[in-house]
Amino acid sequence: MEFFIQQLINGITLGAVYALIALGYTMVYGIIQLINFAHGEFFAAGGYMGVILISYLAAQGLHPYACLGISLVLSMGYCALLAMAVEQLAYKPLRQASRLAALLSALGMSIFLQNGLMLTQGVYDKPYPTEITAGGFEWGLISVSYMQIFIVGLTAVLLVALNILVFKTRIGRAMRATSQDKVMAALVGINSNRVIATTFAIGAALAAAAGIMVGLYYGSVNYSMGFVPGIKAFAAAVLGGIGNITGALIGGLIIGMVEIFAAGYISGEYKDVFAFVILIGVLYFRPTGIMGENVDDTRV
Amino acid sequence: MTTQESKKLWMACGVGLIWFLILLWPLLGIQPEGLEFGKTFKVFGYIAVAAVFIMFFYQIKEAGHLDAVGDPIVSAKGRFQELYEKTPRWILLSIVLGFAIVFPLVTGRYAHDVSISVLIYICLGLGLNIVVGLAGLLDLGYIAFYGVGAYTYALMSLHFGMSFWLCLPIAGVTAAVAGSIVGYPTLRMRGDYLAIVTLGFGEIVRLIFNNWMGLTNGPNGILSIPRPDIFGFELNKLWMLYYVILVIAVITIIAVYRLNFSRIGRAWEAIREDETAAELMGVNTFLLKLLAYAMGATFAGFAGAFFAARMRFVGPESFTFLESAMVLAMVVLGGMGSIPGVILGVLALVALPELFREFELYRMLVFGGTMTLMMLIRPAGIWPASRVGRRSEEAD
Amino acid sequence: MKRLLALIAALAVMTMVLTGCGEEKAAEKVLKIGTMSPLTGPYAADGNDIRQGAEIAIEVIKEQGGIEGFDDIQIFPQDTACDPKQAVAAANKLINDEVTGVVGAYCSSSTIPASETLAEENIIMLTPASTSPKVTERGLTNMFRTCGRDDHQAPAAVKFMKDVAGVKSIFIVDDKTTYSQGLAEGVAAAATAAGIEVKEHDHVNQGDKDYSAVLTKVKAANPDLFYISLQNSATGALMMIQAKRMGVDAILMGQDAVYHPKLVEIAKSAAEGAFCTFGAIDKDAEAFKTFVSKYKAKSGNEPGAYSAYAFDSAMAYLLAVKAAGTTDAAKVRAEILKLDFTGASKQVSYQENGDSGSNYTVYQVKDGKFVPYWNSLSGEKY
Repeated sequence: MEFFIQQLINGITLGAVYALIALGYTMVYGIIQLINFAHGEFFAAGGYMGVILISYLAAQGLHPYACLGISLVLSMGYCALLAMAVEQLAYKPLRQASRLAALLSALGMSIFLQNGLMLTQGVYDKPYPTEITAGGFEWGLISVSYMQIFIVGLTAVLLVALNILVFKTRIGRAMRATSQDKVMAALVGINSNRVIATTFAIGAALAAAAGIMVGLYYGSVNYSMGFVPGIKAFAAAVLGGIGNITGALIGGLIIGMVEIFAAGYISGEYKDVFAFVILIGVLYFRPTGIMGENVDDTRV
Repeated sequence: MTTQESKKLWMACGVGLIWFLILLWPLLGIQPEGLEFGKTFKVFGYIAVAAVFIMFFYQIKEAGHLDAVGDPIVSAKGRFQELYEKTPRWILLSIVLGFAIVFPLVTGRYAHDVSISVLIYICLGLGLNIVVGLAGLLDLGYIAFYGVGAYTYALMSLHFGMSFWLCLPIAGVTAAVAGSIVGYPTLRMRGDYLAIVTLGFGEIVRLIFNNWMGLTNGPNGILSIPRPDIFGFELNKLWMLYYVILVIAVITIIAVYRLNFSRIGRAWEAIREDETAAELMGVNTFLLKLLAYAMGATFAGFAGAFFAARMRFVGPESFTFLESAMVLAMVVLGGMGSIPGVILGVLALVALPELFREFELYRMLVFGGTMTLMMLIRPAGIWPASRVGRRSEEAD
Repeated sequence: MKRLLALIAALAVMTMVLTGCGEEKAAEKVLKIGTMSPLTGPYAADGNDIRQGAEIAIEVIKEQGGIEGFDDIQIFPQDTACDPKQAVAAANKLINDEVTGVVGAYCSSSTIPASETLAEENIIMLTPASTSPKVTERGLTNMFRTCGRDDHQAPAAVKFMKDVAGVKSIFIVDDKTTYSQGLAEGVAAAATAAGIEVKEHDHVNQGDKDYSAVLTKVKAANPDLFYISLQNSATGALMMIQAKRMGVDAILMGQDAVYHPKLVEIAKSAAEGAFCTFGAIDKDAEAFKTFVSKYKAKSGNEPGAYSAYAFDSAMAYLLAVKAAGTTDAAKVRAEILKLDFTGASKQVSYQENGDSGSNYTVYQVKDGKFVPYWNSLSGEKY
């Protein structure tokens, strides 16, 4: 029983990490129907910015929590700027082109950013000052670290905040309008380019927050860290119904849980197989994901 | 170009450079020991100078000062075009084929190796072109079929001692079966849902290669796979293998060309343009989509079998998602649905990284940047197919 | 039209690149050696260690006055990305560059196919890092190995577990690469033979960061020792951090891949007290000291796990060429087999099959440093 509860806790944490990355994925997809392969790189860049800033601020003698807070905000800002630059350069000119052209442009950007990180930050893993958030609770065999609670809490807060943003604010209304029909939105006076840029910025800021959380939780960052979680988060976003914010959370939790329970009860080497089989199974019966609405048939 | 436009352009360039500086400095300049500017400005300096230089060049060109150089090129281009259109197709083809046949006789080992890769990717690209370019189904796990073909030959030849030529069709068939298995559950899905499911299948196949010790020997891979032979004569030189894959590639090109202009090919294109309309017109979309997967997979199976014979080693590392993405990139970059386009795409994406080998660490950086740039310059591909329509909902 | 031009341009460029127009024929005689290691991708860290190690060997030889009969020594680093296909391409590229000796590769799965390509042209290959027994067991005369072998490392590790640590049960985890899985299976077999209970042998995948599921299993199984067989030091560090956080109180033990200064830098206190097996290095030896100081001066980092082996591999080749006075493969091979010199990693001498013997020592992390703890050859503690 304790074994099960511990695995459940592990699963929720991993699911929350995937959900954090998937939120950004799903927002960008929702607005321009683009699988943004570079999203995983925003996540990695956020992780790096976090460690760079934390070590710098800590060396200036700031309180660890102050370091963490300031770094979190600055890294999110940094990734927002990065994402806006990428959007302007690599995606905006292709908005009228076929969707595959934009997809490949995104893939090129992903390779470019990943190697840019490698060249500026080196090939070695960068250690995170994990002692800031060390510690946790223990009951017998079960242990929960503060970091796990923090990650799950942050995911929940961001989820609520995003839902408010999208459904209750002006910019959210503009986002929804743009995602449904860009021409119509433009006609009623929405600057769709600005809305799309804002969405990219928000998505990347979320990825940066996820990057710092992952760095603090696992203890290090490296330049290729965005790739695997990027694919998993993409799977989570699709599973939940791509473009749907609550769906991203549900998808992330399912993928995380399946992986942990498959590794815990069956076999660690086949855990990803189980995750993808569940994904395919769900999509077979619900071709637009768990929370997805019936989208029009869109061509590749 | 008017002065105003020019000013706007310089303004954009300036903003872009400042933005770049803001992005670059935190990565290079913030150290625990303190803030540092020298390194950032050095890197930034190079890039700024390059950007300004390109801007000047662009302005000079726009102003017409380069016409002295440009005009002869343009007129030469025109003459070439005329020549190209007047020359019968078979002459052009025999020139290309002649070049391909003579090529290994005048080049070295490394050239043979790269050209073998090019030909393997041509088979893969054309196979994927059936799925993505003709039938319009986005497939992100295509490399799995390549892997199935490779492992089929490796296992068949090692366990049953079967020859390469016998295994080649078997590899094609097993890959086609695998293609149908992947294709079946995905038939109801469209667009990006299809993309993630095919990606999932690709990963599942790779993980099975990596984990099924009894069959595939897991991460150790399968060693000492026999080379192909002809009437008992082992093809043990690289250039001999070059001709084997050249024959396979030529057969693939002819097959895809014929398919493209057959009833099936037209039906695929109808599905790509509008699935609902195609179905209403009496196209059996279910069967034809499945067939597209199976046909595409078959060519990947052939290429895979050859790959195993050429490397004499197969391991799961060769069949990762990145590899699928590369093949997809070749198809899209070259021009979906067009055979010469796919070949050009392959040349561009196999030759480029090899060209950039000289850049060492910067190799993949330059490669990624070039990929985005090429998409920006030619979004429809280097040599787009002539028969691609545009749907109303995408034209907005 | 543009397309035709593009086609012609592409073909022209291809031919130019492939035939190597750009190469100028130098009048002077240059000794060319290549390195093959993953310079990009997830194992780029180890790949760079190898490249830099070989570069330093050339520096040292040049400082000693170079090699008679050659005006210059050049190095040609190639990227394998730990992918067999790229490794073969790199090998062919090196053949085109007319190198006569190659230091590399890192992943056994790259070394094996690349060595067969190099063997066709009779080019000597010395691997500093591929520990799979298959590397030297294929009867290739051009293949040498400067590091140890998995099938020596596993018994050494188990001997330590039984005789020194006195453990009764172990839990093994690997990350499914040729190297890590082969070694983990060796340890499992040797441990069972030695009467140590193998509670479970589980796997994780490469690229994973979250090991909580398997660590929960470890905690529930409560073994005396947790044997971690992962492909590189960074993942090893992640495993150790998470193990400590999860409250796994078994002894942690890793293999040669985790013997890297970065392990301690990342895992910090979580690595304290952990053991690992690595070749015995005489840190007081002159060769090692020069190597470390040069390495630090050149790269600003501490040498990695395989840097010293790469250095010795390149040294062995250069010394053999010096002795033979030629780059002829058969003569160089004969000279390599005669070698017996004090390298940065160990006393280097090669056997007929290309192996150089293993001298695994158990190290323990103490105050953030790897301290020699027990020698498997003498069976004594330091």
